[in-house]
Amino acid sequence: MQENEYSIIVDNVYKTFNVYLDKANTIKEKLMFFKRNKKEKREVLKGINLKIKKGEVVALIGINGSGKSTLLKLMTKIIYPNKGRIITEGKLTSLLELGAGFHPDFSGRENIYFNASIFGLTKKEIDNRLNDIIEFSELREYIDNPVRTYSSGMFMRLAFSVAINVNADILLIDEILSVGDQHFQEKCFAKMQELKQQGKTMIFVTHSMDSVRQLCDRTVWLHQGVIRRDGPTNEVVDEYIKETT
Amino acid sequence: MKSNMNIFKNIYKYRELLKTSVKKEIRGKYKHSFLGVLWSFLNPLLQLLVYAFVFGTILKNPQENYVVFLCCGLIPWTFFSAALSRASFTMVENGNIIKKVYFPREILPISIVTSEAFNFIISTIIIIAFVFIYGLGITKYILFYPFVFIVQYIFSIGLSFIVSSVTVYVRDLQHLIGVALQLLFYATPIVYSTQTIPEQYRWILNINPMSYIINGYRDIFYYQTMPDLKGLFILLIAMIAFCAVGYLIFQKLQKGFAEEL
Repeated sequence: MQENEYSIIVDNVYKTFNVYLDKANTIKEKLMFFKRNKKEKREVLKGINLKIKKGEVVALIGINGSGKSTLLKLMTKIIYPNKGRIITEGKLTSLLELGAGFHPDFSGRENIYFNASIFGLTKKEIDNRLNDIIEFSELREYIDNPVRTYSSGMFMRLAFSVAINVNADILLIDEILSVGDQHFQEKCFAKMQELKQQGKTMIFVTHSMDSVRQLCDRTVWLHQGVIRRDGPTNEVVDEYIKETT
Repeated sequence: MKSNMNIFKNIYKYRELLKTSVKKEIRGKYKHSFLGVLWSFLNPLLQLLVYAFVFGTILKNPQENYVVFLCCGLIPWTFFSAALSRASFTMVENGNIIKKVYFPREILPISIVTSEAFNFIISTIIIIAFVFIYGLGITKYILFYPFVFIVQYIFSIGLSFIVSSVTVYVRDLQHLIGVALQLLFYATPIVYSTQTIPEQYRWILNINPMSYIINGYRDIFYYQTMPDLKGLFILLIAMIAFCAVGYLIFQKLQKGFAEEL
């Protein structure tokens, strides 16, 4: 296999969700209402094939419900495909849900340790990055306060700073270029450019076509669970805009 | 067999997460209580006194030094039952993180059992204290304590794999476990000794791994003889196999966690 060439290989992936309209959670309900357990199968991804090379920066675009976020979740192994397989090569970080696992009663510093350990870092590695993380978040004087005292912007800044500094080979980013104020957004954008220069593989899910054009070389357009177009950003985005407006 | 090796790789890679969650479990448990971690002492101690009064004083158990006899069974049992019942809640409790971030899910039950194991090791001081209070003293057989402990730890890990993952799909299990543990309490020689059980019911104790484990602790601290090493060794092998099966079940079920929670 060409494992050295590719960061992510998505091989004929199907994903179906069971949508329960009225879910039977207990044995009693399952026994009593087993006929009434309304369930709908919703096929979200229908045979996705995608190969992403090391160092590529790819945008996933598409209208709501086209399966973009599902595809990202499959790549992080939060959920698993019904058919097909996904191979990832290298350390992977997802910026899907920033601040998941933050504990409001713990200080910012403690949360950095806890959050970074969820990403699989050891204590020593976190020690080494602690200053960078605090520096980037611009929360120096607040870092020892409990996170519940933070504003939502501060919270997102801290979460973003941890995620971006864990030194992953692959970054999956879902619609988060809207973190914080203008100044911080620009800083994030610069950081993304920097990571791109360093040869990280990145996948963006976003609706902001401007940032797609600025950051990504390649764009994959998902439509109703299949890949509609896959090619150079400008071509795909032009066609996408023509179709959707 | 590949997935069985993965567990060690995963845990090693995420050792910092395991460490912090064990710490969080230990600290978090008594966080808002006045006496704090002292409760991990007081809880089993008070429980011990209640049982000693009911079964020793009221029901007049003829066992010599009944308090020592009882605490050799009750304290390991507390480790077992607390680990199991907390493991059954852990996935639902952590549903929010499970749905959002990837990390090896087995970290959760392992950290529950490990934090309870720490509690147990600390509580062993209670056993040792009573051994001295009743003038029995400590013998060289205490060297086998870690061995019995490891057997129990592996058994608890295996069982917690199964319980924590099945509960995600069948929430009733949480309640069922409470009742099952109560039943199992009396099907384990904790308040009585194996010898007092009529021959025709002995098989119940013989198929219960906890009875070998508790008899092991009892040999060490109470009877002060050589524990049944051959039996415990066979049990250790069986428990390692059991733990592997538990892990396979866990691996199979964990793929659906994010969707079920």
